[in-house]
Amino acid sequence: MDRNIGKKVLLAGLLILLILFTAACSNSDSDAGSTDKENDPKKAKNNELTITFRSGGSTNQGLINWLNDMVIPKFNEENPEVNVQLSPLEVSEGDYFAKVALLLQSEDTAPDIVTEDTFMVNSDASAGYLEALDDRIESWDGWDKVTDTVKKGVIAEDGNIYGVPYNTDTRGLWYNKELLADAGVSVPWEPKNWDDIINAAKAVKETFGDDVVPMWMNSGKATGEATSMQTFEMLLYGTDDPLYDYEEEKWIVKSDGLVDAFKFIDTIYEEGLGPNLSQVLNGQGSSIAYQQLMPEGKLAIGLDGMWQTGNWHENGSAPWPEFEDKLGFAAMPTQDGNDPGTTSMSGGWALSIPAKSDNKDLAWEFIKMASTPEMNLELQLNDRNISPYKEVAENPKYQELPFFEEATSFLENTNFRPAVDKYPNVSTVIQSLVEQVVTDAISPEEAAEQYKVQVTEIVGADKIMEK
Amino acid sequence: MNTASRAITLRSIFFLLPSWILLLIFFIGPILLTFYFSFTDLALTGAQAQQMAFVGFDNFIEMFQDPNFRISVTKTILFLFISAIIGQQVLGFLLAYLMKEKNTTFRRIIGIVVIAGWVTPEIVVAFCWVAFLNDSGTLNAILQSFGLETITWLYTFPLISVCVANIWHGTAFSMLVFQASLDDVPKTIEEAAMIDGASKLQILIRIILPTVKGSIVTNMILVTLQTLGVFTLIYAMTGGGPGTSTQTLPIFMYNQAFVNYQLGYGTAISLVLLLIGVIASLFYIRSMKVQI
Amino acid sequence: MNRFKLEKKLSYIVLTFIGFLFILPLLWVILASIDANAKQALTIPSEFTLDNFTAILSDPATIRSFIIGLFISLGQSILVVAVGGLAAYPLSRYALKYKKPFMLTILFMTSLPITAVMVPVYQLFMFLNLQDSLVATTLFLTASGLPYGIWMLKNFMDAVPLELEESAWVDGASIWTCLRKVVAPLMIPGICTVGIFTFSMSWGNFFVPYILIQSPDKFPASVTIYQFFGTYGMVEYGKLAAFSLVYTMPAVILYLFSQKFMSQGFSFGGATKG
Repeated sequence: MDRNIGKKVLLAGLLILLILFTAACSNSDSDAGSTDKENDPKKAKNNELTITFRSGGSTNQGLINWLNDMVIPKFNEENPEVNVQLSPLEVSEGDYFAKVALLLQSEDTAPDIVTEDTFMVNSDASAGYLEALDDRIESWDGWDKVTDTVKKGVIAEDGNIYGVPYNTDTRGLWYNKELLADAGVSVPWEPKNWDDIINAAKAVKETFGDDVVPMWMNSGKATGEATSMQTFEMLLYGTDDPLYDYEEEKWIVKSDGLVDAFKFIDTIYEEGLGPNLSQVLNGQGSSIAYQQLMPEGKLAIGLDGMWQTGNWHENGSAPWPEFEDKLGFAAMPTQDGNDPGTTSMSGGWALSIPAKSDNKDLAWEFIKMASTPEMNLELQLNDRNISPYKEVAENPKYQELPFFEEATSFLENTNFRPAVDKYPNVSTVIQSLVEQVVTDAISPEEAAEQYKVQVTEIVGADKIMEK
Repeated sequence: MNTASRAITLRSIFFLLPSWILLLIFFIGPILLTFYFSFTDLALTGAQAQQMAFVGFDNFIEMFQDPNFRISVTKTILFLFISAIIGQQVLGFLLAYLMKEKNTTFRRIIGIVVIAGWVTPEIVVAFCWVAFLNDSGTLNAILQSFGLETITWLYTFPLISVCVANIWHGTAFSMLVFQASLDDVPKTIEEAAMIDGASKLQILIRIILPTVKGSIVTNMILVTLQTLGVFTLIYAMTGGGPGTSTQTLPIFMYNQAFVNYQLGYGTAISLVLLLIGVIASLFYIRSMKVQI
Repeated sequence: MNRFKLEKKLSYIVLTFIGFLFILPLLWVILASIDANAKQALTIPSEFTLDNFTAILSDPATIRSFIIGLFISLGQSILVVAVGGLAAYPLSRYALKYKKPFMLTILFMTSLPITAVMVPVYQLFMFLNLQDSLVATTLFLTASGLPYGIWMLKNFMDAVPLELEESAWVDGASIWTCLRKVVAPLMIPGICTVGIFTFSMSWGNFFVPYILIQSPDKFPASVTIYQFFGTYGMVEYGKLAAFSLVYTMPAVILYLFSQKFMSQGFSFGGATKG
């Protein structure tokens, strides 16, 4: 008798308390950070606007300067009561997208504007994290000014638009003219195939020994998408085998190109032509390479994006007045010089509004203000990326920027990442395999083999093909 | 049914309630969810983030075919074995044993030095060791001063590096446990054996070890479980790399769930991690012959 | 006799050597924190300075992250002791019907690496809409420390003689007064052991807050320190070392404070002598 009552009391009590407790907990969010209530961006009254992007070290310094110096002051002129808060995430590139996905899942944490790499737009849109902007764009005259090819990057598979692009880019080979010349490579350097690159790197190694890093490519998991795109895909798209076959709508999981791309990476490190692993596998590898080594004349060739010039101009994070004379920017050759002879990859970033933002109208006003050719020109003058606006591309101020002629010319033979669901997952597989090849954990052939297994697992056996 | 015993029952319930509510929500809750989500394809982004589906045993089939899973299990076992079972236990015992009957000041100094590694927060431990082992870090500076070549420790010997860091961080715990239990070894027996002409080693094996056996087993299990869950240290030191060379199960789980966006798969790995804990736990309970 | 002397000398040498090895990694942090030009390698500072500490301690963001860290870890420790102590009382004092399975479950849970399986925990937080809540994170950590806490505290409580309590009852003290005035003071070693153990496990934990807390301005110190690793390209080693030292202090203070009670705690409250 006693026991039964005890049990019932226990059960009932537990249930009630469980409910009360959960309820109390859910509401406790607001007083959780009582120490920092005022600064808490999520408790936005309607006059707060938060913007999330990646920072840390000097990442996105150009974007930050532009927001602080240009866009926010102008925005505040028209909306003086609005407090625009920058809420940067200080994480490595590899962790940024996951952290953004975590942020966008709830109303409490979602910012009002987020910078999205265009390869994540499709994925985050189908997860329901982003707001479709079609209705807003319809009544906005700015959209027509955006280049059509760049628009594709922000249109998801459902056909809706999920962001306004603020830049696009190309990639190529940065090289130090003096170092290459001293090593006996003729300058301006125009490598015709992959062997030319390796031979140039070898020449540098013979001439300078350990004082100079011959060739730098992002090669680790910590550099995230940069490893997939700036390194692996720049190689792969120079072979005859891309990642994805659009006609068949299938992923190519076995091809000579895959093996050869891994082999090229392997060769660089096997022959001692790459940097120390402790530098290149670091999340800040890119800063080490382009803010330290290259300006110091300790890096001969670097396969990377044109935005690296943003480091070196007078407002950059590593000003280097002579960079224009010291460096060259060569197009990445295809594997054997096969048609069209050179290759590049293009991506870009966009401003998007999270579906769970509590201030969408204001966010849209902000994006509209930031997304004009005039504003975008200011961004590119700071950040040094390719503008998504035709008007900007024709502006002399923009055209005169160092290396923009080269960078823009790479657009001719450029490639885009597969705009299909699952690309982000495939990309992390690539990053992990590249790092394993670089550290000699597996051979290039094994990497290609594992690529097949892991990608099949991700996209499903009905969506793969072999070549 | 007297009122006194009813009062006791009610009071007991009242006293136990807060802890059971907490355990139910935040301990048993996640465990139940582990079973639930490990049979789904829930993702962090993409369509499956919105509409997950039940996929049966797919995650587990994938796991057992995944070479990285096998690597992770191996790395976890190696990490456990080298850093916990061998490293912390043996070194901890050695320290406790050697410190017996030493000069108090000396004993205290060594004790503080070892315990300093223990009270240092895990993330700081990681940082200390990254700095210590780096290309131009202290260890290489020492090697150079002896005219030896420098070694990129974190890239040449990554697993050993994280093991050593974990030993540095954890040994004090074992040392304190063994100090407490060595105090329980009756001095008279030891002295008697010494008079009979037994060597130190014989005394250690025949008398001391059997007496502290209980502590060894308990400590081993506790240390095993603490080591099984190590994430911060490895993540901050090597991120599980280079390649997969320090990718233990917690790191593998993190990578699958939060880097490769496959939450369902990550949960399935969690389940394996929990199962290892369950096995250790059963062993623990048996070996302790618990008196309740 | 000579043999014993040699042995004794040898063990002193071995101990000194081990001690030296243990201090090496720390030495750098200490020296670098007061070095104006700290580098990665261990050097005697050419120029002593406290600038690194001033820079760290005058940064409101750093202070905030420390306060948040303390809120989480101290909150957790206090809750584990309070809630665990409450649960330990009836388990220690009364002959309850389901005590045995109860205690076995507790013991069983002690061994589950719950703070390592953050994926389902994160999903639970999503489900209950608790993500980004510092209170909920503290409660989760409390639950993770509870099994061990209850187990230890019950063992310690067993060692407190019932007679003392009975005489207090005779004097008309309520059960609450009894717990506070009679039982708790006698259990200080146990409370300290459980408290510091809980604290030190969570104080350096990066994983749990990194997954459960999303807003950068709610990150505790264990997460904000990671920014120094990230900006590796141009690290200010002095500041980083100073940050590490300041960050280690609470654990050291707590340890020193409770040190004299600890040795009793490490015989697992007699649990190992079964």
